[in-house]
Amino acid sequence: MKWTEKYLKRMREKAHEEAEASEIAISVNDLYKSFKLPTERAWGLKQAIFNRLKGIKGFRKQEVLRGLSFDVKRGEFLGIVGRNGSGKSTLLKVLSEIYVPDKGSVKINGTLVPFIELGVGFNPELTGRENVYLNGALLGFSNKEMDEMFEDIVKFAELEDFMDQKLKNYSSGMQVRLAFSIAIRARGDILILDEVLAVGDAAFQEKCNEYFKSLHGNQTVILVTHDMGNVERFCDRAILIEEGKIKCQGKPSKVTKEYLKLWD
Amino acid sequence: MHNSFSRRNRVLLAELIKTDFKLRYQGSMLGYMWAILRPLLMFAILYVVFAKVLRFGDGIPHYPVYLLTGTVLWNFFTECTFQGIHAIEQRGDLIRKISFPKYVVVVSATSTALINLLINLVVVVVFALINGVVPTWSWLLVPLSVVELYVLALGISLLLGAINVKFRDIGSIWEVLMQAMFYAVPIIYPITMVTATSEVIAKIMLLNPIAQVIQDARNNLITTEAVTTWELVGPLGGIASVGIVVAVFVIAVLYFRKKAKYFAEEV
Repeated sequence: MKWTEKYLKRMREKAHEEAEASEIAISVNDLYKSFKLPTERAWGLKQAIFNRLKGIKGFRKQEVLRGLSFDVKRGEFLGIVGRNGSGKSTLLKVLSEIYVPDKGSVKINGTLVPFIELGVGFNPELTGRENVYLNGALLGFSNKEMDEMFEDIVKFAELEDFMDQKLKNYSSGMQVRLAFSIAIRARGDILILDEVLAVGDAAFQEKCNEYFKSLHGNQTVILVTHDMGNVERFCDRAILIEEGKIKCQGKPSKVTKEYLKLWD
Repeated sequence: MHNSFSRRNRVLLAELIKTDFKLRYQGSMLGYMWAILRPLLMFAILYVVFAKVLRFGDGIPHYPVYLLTGTVLWNFFTECTFQGIHAIEQRGDLIRKISFPKYVVVVSATSTALINLLINLVVVVVFALINGVVPTWSWLLVPLSVVELYVLALGISLLLGAINVKFRDIGSIWEVLMQAMFYAVPIIYPITMVTATSEVIAKIMLLNPIAQVIQDARNNLITTEAVTTWELVGPLGGIASVGIVVAVFVIAVLYFRKKAKYFAEEV
């Protein structure tokens, strides 16, 4: 083979690899995370000095994630299920770069918009409009980007007449509607949602369901939930986590069955 | 991970500063006026006690303005550090749920104090002119003192704020320390009163960067009677004082960067 052909072949291979890599939105490789939990009730300077003098560690190690590996494809709707304390939320926080992993790596292609909780930073003394912009800034959007999204958010939340009211004058239903609308209207490549589907009245929920169905194939979503109905309705694939490891993954119907077996 | 001065962080910083400032004076009748009134009221009390009753200011030209400059700068320093040290702890709800550079929270908390200081400095200048202080070119040097004081306050906020995440006593210890420090800095009394007793003690006191900044500002703004560190201790003393500020800031930034990764778990 001539060197030019070799060179061309190598270029083709490289291009192929790159195309494959761009198909992956999130790549998680052998992730470990543990926490130091203080064993004393009072945790302060005095206790720290005491422990140092007595040679006590003063905390115990809690292993939460123990070697997780998985990929999320671009445009995929991935469900993550598992019982309380299995490590789902910790995983989302590592993906969102809130926690640093002890070991392993997370590779993210594109911008990631995390909603670990709805309405983070919402302040009752600010107006609805001010809260939307503050929330947007926290999520990493510029004022210009928020200007473009604003009308869409307000319309989806059905709060056109209330945006210049202070948030403390909103009903709790109105507050979650606003927060939820920001969450699903925020334009990022990857959306992370932690157990936030059940908000608003029946009509609003119906609207949200419609919206989630319309996302199919266009938006990468990672959804953590305990509602197996939602997993089967929206997700292309699901992962069951147990004690910080993947117990099973694949078709939503298969994973939800495994999930329900946990209590047998 | 993030470029510290990226557009994203600037937007967030601006938004947090706006929110802090808005919230602080909301629902109060006089609103932003409190930013000016609070230090003026404290000044009025100090003025009556120390200038009129105890007559500390005899021999210093424009003593009321001299006193006002000192209290305004001191108030700024304490307000700035009190807000800054507790910033991470108070914004814990955000830090636990969203990833963003943590220094943004500390800078936004201290910036409210900085805005208040700028308003107060306008008041100082107006007072100075009313009191008959003649403007000189040395007024242009006053911003340097403000910058130095802010760098020191920000450094202390970052350093103690990071420690305060784990050991909540630090905030209280600092407040007690500041109460003692108020008397160790020549704010209400002229440094010449100390020099008369012991020149060594006066020199040590002026090596404190807060004292150095206040005396520099007074010297440049009001009267050359205000003895500076550079004059009493010498150029090396002045450099040492500025050196302390730089050292505190550098150590603070390094320590904060090392600890910031774990704030979400510890706060």
